[in-house]
Amino acid sequence: MRHRRRWRRLQARGLAVAAVICLTGLQAARAAEVPQERLQLCGTCHGENGNSKMEKMPSLAGQPELFLANQLILFRERLRKSEVMQPFAKDLNDAEILALAAHYAKLTPEPSPEPVDQALAARGAQLARQMHCGTCHLPDYAGREQMPRLARQRIDYTIESLTAYRAGTRYGVDTTMNGVMYDVSDRDIRALAHFLATVR
Amino acid sequence: MQSVRFFAPKLAASIGLGALLAATAAFELSAQQPAAPPPAWKQGMPASMADSKLAPHASPMTVTPVEKITVDKLKVPKGFKVEIWAHGMPGARMMTRGDKGTVFIGTRAIGKVYAVTDKGGKREHKVVAEGQQQPNGLAFKDGTLYVITIDKVLRFDGIEDKLDNPQPTDVSDKFNLPASTHHNWKFAAIGPDNKIYFNVGAPCNICETDPGKYAQIRRQNLDGSGLEIVARGVRNSVGFDWHPVTKELWFTDHNRDWAGDDSPNDELNRVAANQVGGNFGFPYCHANGIADPDIKRPNPCAGVIMPAALTGPHSAACGMRFYTGNMFPAEYKNQAFIARRGSWNRTKKLGYDVVLAKVNGGKAALTPFLTGFLDPATDAHWGRPVDVLQMPDGALLVSDEHNGAIYRVSYSGRVAEGKR
Repeated sequence: MRHRRRWRRLQARGLAVAAVICLTGLQAARAAEVPQERLQLCGTCHGENGNSKMEKMPSLAGQPELFLANQLILFRERLRKSEVMQPFAKDLNDAEILALAAHYAKLTPEPSPEPVDQALAARGAQLARQMHCGTCHLPDYAGREQMPRLARQRIDYTIESLTAYRAGTRYGVDTTMNGVMYDVSDRDIRALAHFLATVR
Repeated sequence: MQSVRFFAPKLAASIGLGALLAATAAFELSAQQPAAPPPAWKQGMPASMADSKLAPHASPMTVTPVEKITVDKLKVPKGFKVEIWAHGMPGARMMTRGDKGTVFIGTRAIGKVYAVTDKGGKREHKVVAEGQQQPNGLAFKDGTLYVITIDKVLRFDGIEDKLDNPQPTDVSDKFNLPASTHHNWKFAAIGPDNKIYFNVGAPCNICETDPGKYAQIRRQNLDGSGLEIVARGVRNSVGFDWHPVTKELWFTDHNRDWAGDDSPNDELNRVAANQVGGNFGFPYCHANGIADPDIKRPNPCAGVIMPAALTGPHSAACGMRFYTGNMFPAEYKNQAFIARRGSWNRTKKLGYDVVLAKVNGGKAALTPFLTGFLDPATDAHWGRPVDVLQMPDGALLVSDEHNGAIYRVSYSGRVAEGKR
């Protein structure tokens, strides 16, 4: 688990930075601005401009504000389980969370650097239509309110999250996605992820 | 989920969801597994509505600053007044009151239970449970708070003396609740028979399911023994109370989605003394005798108990309680207040208010009581009332899930107080 060890190191570094932020960051958060140190910390994994270059780390750029705030709260409340995110989220107050959500919602999503399998993507396009993903996530998959942007998300992250919804190890603010993913095959999950990464 | 019988192929065929069949064929199902149902809230969507953008509305999980709560937009009848009683509790839903005056508040998504105490006319709140899966069902008896989540029952003995250090006992093994989540958040209350009552909803929008397990209101002794089904064919009740005179159980019930803007209506139901265990229609018969368009059987409404009142299509009638206080005018006594959380599966929003159900024998007629959460001109809402609770002085508390606030409605007979 080289991946996890790397994470532990990053986390240790992150917590040191976070301690400094806790002392200096409150006023800035009240003014709905995210302190630079915190943005650097988040950017270590999620990309400086919110577009992730790191394996299985989601891009946050252009995500709906409510979705971002909800996820940080689910991490903080340990309702979304993540060894990686929980230490960062556990001490965030609502104002800090709303400031982070507002910041990342404004950034521009860029395509993932991952290679796309065009045949899989074509199959994913068909599946996304059949599964009515666009009803909630909108026909351009830009997301809205509590429902995330799927367009241009990293392939490996989309695969990981859809698999977790299917397994019932991840919930949203409701259980809609668990029902959506019931019994969807691994191959179909890959196809959806390859397609969604290519949507502009 | 696996234990639920969805009858998906039959359902899909009967509602002509060609797209669904094509999709299930493409999903590479293994031969042993049942066909994938569409997401529970989307089941029963006709092909004609496949492009609909209607989706559930989410409430914020962050604190709404008190100055952003536009309580002056709320309207109540002449002589009544509405004010903010407590705030800062994201997701505040079901309420129950302890013997020593603590008001406990359950939630869904944020997983917390709050406790509000009154200190010299000001309210303070504490978190007595967190990290729970939809702790919506709360009941209080003899010093003990019962919290029912999706599949857990937690006892907080002597809670009002331990608000800073709550110590729950997990008694879930005595109750054996199904683990499926959809429509499985609970409403709970203690009946006049000293038993705990709660709902177990249907795990779908519309489906045939095991009637011995789902779509019902149950009661059990407080130790978990003596399980009985009090009402069957109940899709999703999120509120009930006992009539103060007859002691009969009355309950609200949400009806199915995707069958049109105006049908079927949600319901207010009465379980008459000789109807305990009776059938209220789901999934075959809805509202005042409407056969389901998808799940069909001969004589779908035969033997089904009809509602005391229709409470509006998709309006999401939730918490309801009978009023027994002396503060409000006499005509309110023994009538029921119902919080309607408001629709999502409807082109134009409906509900987002508290209505008064004037009871006459086994029937009831609704009139508006607390309105103003919804602006009909713009179809925008800013609040979602979920529960009502009468206080010892006769005032009525109303919870607002959207703003994490509790309002207090009082009556003085004077008209001048508000900004009406």
